[in-house]
Amino acid sequence: MPASIRLALMLLPAVVVLGGLFLGGLVLAIIRTVGIVPFAGRFDPTLEPWTRALQEPDLLLSILVTLWVAAASTLIATALGVGAALLLHRAGGGRLVTLLVQFNLTVPHVVTAVGMAWLLGQSGVLARLAHGAGAIDRPGDFPALVNDPWFVADIVAYVAKEVPFVAVVALAMLAAVGSAPAITARCLGATPLQAFRHVTWPLIRPGILAAATVVFAFVLGTYEVPAVLGPSHPKALPVLAYQMFTSNDIADRPAAIVVSLLMAAVGVVCLVAVRRLMRGISGLEVVR
Amino acid sequence: MTAFGAALPRRAGALVRRAAARPQGFAARSALALLLVLLVAPFLPVVVWSVTRAWFYPAIVPQTLDLSAWTSVFSATSGVPAALGRSVLIALSATGLAMLFGVPAGRALALHRFPGRRLVEVLVLAPLVVPPLAVAMGLHAVFLKIGLAGTVPGVVLAHIIPTLPYVILVSASVFSAFDTGLEDQARSLGATPSQVLRHVTVPLLAPGLAVAALFAFLVSWSQYGLTLLVGSGRVPTMPLILMQFVTAGRQDVAGAIAVLTVLPGVLALVLSARILAAAAARERTTS
Amino acid sequence: MPIPRRIVLGLLAGALALPVAARAAPLSEDALRTAPFETIVEAARGGTVNFFLWGGDDRINAYVSGPLAEALKAEYGITLNRVGVADTAEVVNQILSEQEAGVTDGGAVDLVWINGENFRTLKTGGLLLCGYAERLPNARFVDWSDPSIANDFGTPVDGCEVPWSKARFALAYDSARTAEPPKTMAAFLDWVRANPGRFTYAAPPDFNGSAFVRHVFMHAAGGAEALSGPFDQARFDAAAEKAYGLLDDLEPFLWREGRTYPTDIAQLNQLFANSEVDFTFNYEPTVFGAGVADGRFPETTRSFAFDDGTLANTSYVAVPFNAANKAAALVLANHLLSPAEQLRKADPAVWGMATALDLDRLTPAEAEAFRALPRHPAVIADEDLADRAMAELSADWLEAIEKGWIERVGR
Repeated sequence: MPASIRLALMLLPAVVVLGGLFLGGLVLAIIRTVGIVPFAGRFDPTLEPWTRALQEPDLLLSILVTLWVAAASTLIATALGVGAALLLHRAGGGRLVTLLVQFNLTVPHVVTAVGMAWLLGQSGVLARLAHGAGAIDRPGDFPALVNDPWFVADIVAYVAKEVPFVAVVALAMLAAVGSAPAITARCLGATPLQAFRHVTWPLIRPGILAAATVVFAFVLGTYEVPAVLGPSHPKALPVLAYQMFTSNDIADRPAAIVVSLLMAAVGVVCLVAVRRLMRGISGLEVVR
Repeated sequence: MTAFGAALPRRAGALVRRAAARPQGFAARSALALLLVLLVAPFLPVVVWSVTRAWFYPAIVPQTLDLSAWTSVFSATSGVPAALGRSVLIALSATGLAMLFGVPAGRALALHRFPGRRLVEVLVLAPLVVPPLAVAMGLHAVFLKIGLAGTVPGVVLAHIIPTLPYVILVSASVFSAFDTGLEDQARSLGATPSQVLRHVTVPLLAPGLAVAALFAFLVSWSQYGLTLLVGSGRVPTMPLILMQFVTAGRQDVAGAIAVLTVLPGVLALVLSARILAAAAARERTTS
Repeated sequence: MPIPRRIVLGLLAGALALPVAARAAPLSEDALRTAPFETIVEAARGGTVNFFLWGGDDRINAYVSGPLAEALKAEYGITLNRVGVADTAEVVNQILSEQEAGVTDGGAVDLVWINGENFRTLKTGGLLLCGYAERLPNARFVDWSDPSIANDFGTPVDGCEVPWSKARFALAYDSARTAEPPKTMAAFLDWVRANPGRFTYAAPPDFNGSAFVRHVFMHAAGGAEALSGPFDQARFDAAAEKAYGLLDDLEPFLWREGRTYPTDIAQLNQLFANSEVDFTFNYEPTVFGAGVADGRFPETTRSFAFDDGTLANTSYVAVPFNAANKAAALVLANHLLSPAEQLRKADPAVWGMATALDLDRLTPAEAEAFRALPRHPAVIADEDLADRAMAELSADWLEAIEKGWIERVGR
């Protein structure tokens, strides 16, 4: 079998599946927002869904708050994940630690969200401990972390879920880089911090950025966590989109697709930005 | 792609374990302990709730031990055992399909240069970066029309979207560290293609592919939005059933369902750790 | 490697799990409206019915999947497939989606538990099977001339749905915390102002939160009559000015100073159970008894209704236009109306939902059985509710009030 045909056979199934399901779904979603539903034989071009979605009074606030949650979660999760990887790489704590870090990878987001609500709520476990310690009297004295306008519990839930992901990626990067560059730097008189900043970090940065992008995009598009932990107003974008999609007013549905497309657009912008960032980094091949 | 490929956990479990064996400082150890508390803490109230009820503020410890949530969950009418089976079926099917389509593509991307490679890379990465809601809303109408919406096969197909990229990326990183010369040697020694696959390729790749399968399984297992939309609410997987009881305020039943929702993922994790450990042991004995 | 074989098996299983559409010979829509009921029962025998209903209460789930399903199987050979949903709007959405995608036959939903806006959406969209309801044999036990049966939140039922249960709004308090609750809306609002942070309500469009806001609306408008009948913008504007003003002024005295509201009734229930607030409410007061029984509410929970009137509604079951198993759906709808099944459902040990039947149309023994049903101490007596019952507003009023709340109070 010629090599090119073999190559095509290896690639084709994945390309067809992703092209058909992912691109196909995306294209269908886009044309549906302008009044075209090929499978139902409907073709009445209109921009009404776009004006309807853009006139949604909470849209801008929802976008901002969703970006805030995604950015905060990504930054904290990345910092903690890299930190955990460095600690595990250098210090570590045995099999149990490993399993516990990985444990969170296996917990579905909806479970983490529910657990967070019961942990951080104003009558949750922490509030009860605070009451037991005499720090608060009534539940209302405990800081509002769940269903609060700053999405604190939301962010903590994402952090708890994504730290292991970032840590696993960072560990793989650290292993690939090895200890030699950092040790060399230390021998040349660098402090541990300097060695990390100027030697280790540039080497592991591409992988970490990639992981951070995945986390960011994931947080942007996740429904169940803000659905459980978010406030009644403002709503995270996926929650807003889903509520519009299941609204009793059928005209809201294409508008809901517009909202989720806007979300997707933010995701694409992030991908492009990070790819551009990564392209400018030499030393990528060292990692390979 | 390159960065992703290199970044993904090439035998991450083994790495973590090896790292973990080293000596440590007190500060590092306590920082790690603190982090672990953060990671595991949300799961504690879930477990406690599953074995109590009427656990109201300000009680720190529940007053009663009550297993009725578990009785109710395992009763024939709760639908939970069926949902558990359904979830396993969906996650295994999605994993199987994603491996079937993804491993060859990962190999192609890791070992070959070809025109249009960049486009393929973008196509593979895009589902990780574009939130799936819009795609699911687009697919919904088609799936309805062809009778896939609200069915298990429809949900499995939808789950391929988020799982396939992970499989491709992990297997690309596995293949990029794979020496194809070994296959050539086996062939030149007279092995048939199937013998090469069975005795050379698979044993060498098993650990990495186990990680790929684990990722796919976990990604499918925790899907909520996609299942809700494409399943039209009629394919109640564990996360969906859990949400029903959460929105109904049944913390005891929700706690029990949440515990059940976590178990299969932990099993998958332990299983893949076993495969990794076996591979590492084999490596030690052969080298 | 042992995995591939397992994967292949998984794939096979996945492919084989295609929906088994067990369909008996379908009857035409006309036949469903005109044929003798025995014909419909024969057509339905051996089939399946997909019954969609809110799935968040394990008592309801256990009743529907348990005794109800068993009775249907034993009497008619029909398999009841309970499909639990988190919100009935999802079912409406499913039917709308099917219509949009051109699925005019073999739809997923055979029967749905429904009322209010959801019913209006489906009815006005022509998405329901109509004209059969009053012809069901057990429909003779229903008083179809009762306005609270004939109108579903102001939308005429017109034989497009079959009544299942009645519900009336009540509030719950913890007698260990609150000795004597304020029994009129005016006194209640005073109580809220005098006890800052101790009350809140679930944000509309939550079903129950929205009902509370309607009570405030009626109070502000000077009585239910001000909002009765078809929607009227001028009347709405006049009432809205007062009602939203009142709710705005109330915010500083609410939980978290009204900066946020519980997103659903379950959240409010938890706030109440954990003494974060002192009241919760529900359109189905039997949940207070069930809540005590299953540990969601304190033992000392009691309930009451406002003396100035409490909203009442009826919930129904309906068959979508494209249901795959319409005959089986009709058989189930009829069975749900049978006095025996209604009695079982009204038993607090099973579910406790009030009957939609007219007790005067039952035999004295049957009627007595309903009257003799036990009542949980946390649940307000049915007579106390019946005395104060007010008809629901029309769905247009309801929507305008919800929308206005979201725009003017909720943000």
